[in-house]
Amino acid sequence: MTTSIANDRNGALAIDVHGLTKTFPAGRGRRRRPDVEAVRGITFSVEPGERVAYIGPNGAGKSTSIKILTGILHASSGDVTVLGMVPWRERRRLTRRIGTLFGQRSQLWFELTPRQSFRMLAAIHRLDRAEAARRVAEIAELLDAGDLFDQPVRSLSLGQRMRCELAACMLHRPEILFLDEPTIGLDLLAKQLFRDLLVRLNRDRGTTIFLTSHDVADVEHVAERVVVVNHGSIIYDDAVGTLRRTLLATKLVEVGLSAPVPVPDFDGVTVLEHSPTAARLAVDTNRRSVRDVLDVLLDTWPVADISVVDPPLEDVIAEIYGVPR
Amino acid sequence: MRGFAATLRGAFAEALTNRRAFGAQVALMFGNDLAWCAFWVLFFDRAGNLRGWDGTRALLLLSVFATSAGLTLGVFANVRHVGQMASDGRLDAVLALPVSPLPHLLVRQVRTVNLGDVLFGLGLFLVAGDPDPGRFGIYLVGSLASTGLMLGFLITAGSLAFFVGSGETGEAGFHALLLLSNYPADFFGGLTKLVLYTVIPAAFVTAVPAKLVDEFDPGLAALLLGASAAFLAAGWATFTFGLRRYSSGSVWTQA
Amino acid sequence: MRRLVPAWVGVALTTGARRVLAAPGGLAVGMAIHVLIVGAVSTLWRVAVEANGGSLDGYDATSVTWYMVLSEAAYMAVSSRIIEDIGDDIAGGAVASEMLRPAPVVGIRLAVQFGASLPRLVANLVAGGAVALVTVGGPPSTGALLLALPALPLAAACNLAAAHAFAGVAFWLRDAGSAWFLYQKLIFIFGGMLLPLQVVPGAMRAIAFGLPFMTMAYVPARLGSGHVEPQLLLVQVAWLVVLTAAATATFTAGERRLQAVGG
Repeated sequence: MTTSIANDRNGALAIDVHGLTKTFPAGRGRRRRPDVEAVRGITFSVEPGERVAYIGPNGAGKSTSIKILTGILHASSGDVTVLGMVPWRERRRLTRRIGTLFGQRSQLWFELTPRQSFRMLAAIHRLDRAEAARRVAEIAELLDAGDLFDQPVRSLSLGQRMRCELAACMLHRPEILFLDEPTIGLDLLAKQLFRDLLVRLNRDRGTTIFLTSHDVADVEHVAERVVVVNHGSIIYDDAVGTLRRTLLATKLVEVGLSAPVPVPDFDGVTVLEHSPTAARLAVDTNRRSVRDVLDVLLDTWPVADISVVDPPLEDVIAEIYGVPR
Repeated sequence: MRGFAATLRGAFAEALTNRRAFGAQVALMFGNDLAWCAFWVLFFDRAGNLRGWDGTRALLLLSVFATSAGLTLGVFANVRHVGQMASDGRLDAVLALPVSPLPHLLVRQVRTVNLGDVLFGLGLFLVAGDPDPGRFGIYLVGSLASTGLMLGFLITAGSLAFFVGSGETGEAGFHALLLLSNYPADFFGGLTKLVLYTVIPAAFVTAVPAKLVDEFDPGLAALLLGASAAFLAAGWATFTFGLRRYSSGSVWTQA
Repeated sequence: MRRLVPAWVGVALTTGARRVLAAPGGLAVGMAIHVLIVGAVSTLWRVAVEANGGSLDGYDATSVTWYMVLSEAAYMAVSSRIIEDIGDDIAGGAVASEMLRPAPVVGIRLAVQFGASLPRLVANLVAGGAVALVTVGGPPSTGALLLALPALPLAAACNLAAAHAFAGVAFWLRDAGSAWFLYQKLIFIFGGMLLPLQVVPGAMRAIAFGLPFMTMAYVPARLGSGHVEPQLLLVQVAWLVVLTAAATATFTAGERRLQAVGG
């Protein structure tokens, strides 16, 4: 078992993980089922100021990993340090320097206004009233949320609430912000706004962003680096630019037909499915633009219905391993 | 400590936002307590003095109960939900904050309706408890000790959920304690009486403080305070050990 | 051929019963609590009876214990949250969607709740009966106990009908939870649940016998404690008719209000 090594090039790492394993005992007594290995030997590190997306399908071990990093769960084996501390051993010290935003859990009092909640959180983080007020004003401007702070939380939409939750996390100026599925349930516009805010926080304050998601768009719009997990192990760890070029370049075009067509043969297009009433095509956008393909289809095919979608994450991951779908 | 006070203030502020139903609820809590008064008065009026208990002492018992139950369930409203929160995995929100989880958790929610019970208990004592400064002091300290006991017991019962996986131990413990605390322990014999002084400390919660107001006994008083401290310690320990299990993930049914 | 009893009644009854039986853990916990309650309350009264020369207003240790067994069995068979739940359902809109069904809302609810009370009655009787057998032995009169058996579901039915009439207040006031407390305490004292009505002083007793609450605990308890008074069953039936009419009237008026005012 190795001990964590400080990165001698840039100083201390924000997050340093070596061989992290987490096994959940499952079942009791006579109904004993095998233990669940949620996380298997994960190794990665994050430097201060990075924006990392930690993605994978449901059950991949994302939430477990982030709970370990924030000190809620302890690891079964392996070394984990966050800001130089072992999270589950120094939870209270650590929580003063990190912020956590978990999609389904709220730090705000439902019946009160966000500003009233901020007052309570400020006291918990030992900020004096003047300092707290200053920070609330700052964050209001940064997140463009000032008009939301004085309405009861229960009257806010989900998107507005998430912005206030974000503000609540940032009050104590954390060095790392952990977010677990923060955009779940938000409409497209709210998602986009939220992603922009995360980028803004990172650029303005240098806050390290570590976010888990199963939405590939979170990767594209927030992260500089993406770590892909599946079945508890990391299967991809690289810059987003690389991923975009190689794998996220595919768009799926789903066509409903009003009459059968011959199997198409277009450059840069792979036929996934073909039937008398529908066709499913994968477009490699590095070679052919979707617009181009749509033009051709609409001109030459009896199209009843057409839609363009991102490939599901499972497909992207399968592609990473070169596994046939 | 500042954080604790802030959480408490927040809980009160939140509880007070629902003022519309509040008045009606408090009035009906009063009605609830008055019905118990009526029961005891009618009972002892017919049955006479029994094993050292009469109507007046029964009302003392009721006033202690209303005060301490009101404080426990009113100020520390989440004590009833510890078990459920443990088995649901809802403790994460508390663990994300740089606070000691148990105190913060307990005062995160306040139920002002139960504070009505506190007022009732106080009022009942002043009306029927033959108050003088001495008796009032004993009633106050006794009620506080009783509150500590209730808290400790309920935290322990709820924290068993960390080990048993079901939030129902807290509910069962809650009902058992509150039920049995309504009766003077002296009416029970042998094994039951032993249980009421130990495992389910209903006797210490109500009967003992009530007796102390009428006939102060330093030994018994010391026993009461000791029991209160013991149960609080047990609650703290069970919760802390339970939290370690929570942190290992063995409590969850879903990862 | 028209059925005498509409089909939905049977379905509702079995639905209610099945719901309770599907959670045996809850039933078991309920029985355990029931043992505690009956044990505590009957001990109280036995001590009182003993101290008064073995008989109190016609009750001895055995009969007062069995009184408590039956009054508690009847009272606890109806969910203590019933009025709160009805109020929540009205405020939350569940009732509004129930109005879309081709059967009366209050009818279905009453039938389901009644179905749910039946397994609880059995469980309570078993639990409480065990306590009584261990402490004082068998019931004072088996004949009277047999009369008490139909009195139990009648008691639950009266309780439910009255609860629905009471809770109908929520169509107008939104918060019915507080009404529940008052209602429960009325059964406490005037229903003879914790106190045999014979023990209550004259004026109060007269009032209690004039109110419907005595059907919900006193009647089965009085019968089960060895007093053969079959006319009490008729009293239950009469009140059941009145209370069901009241519940129906409240809900009908309330539903009309929902249709006019919205959810």
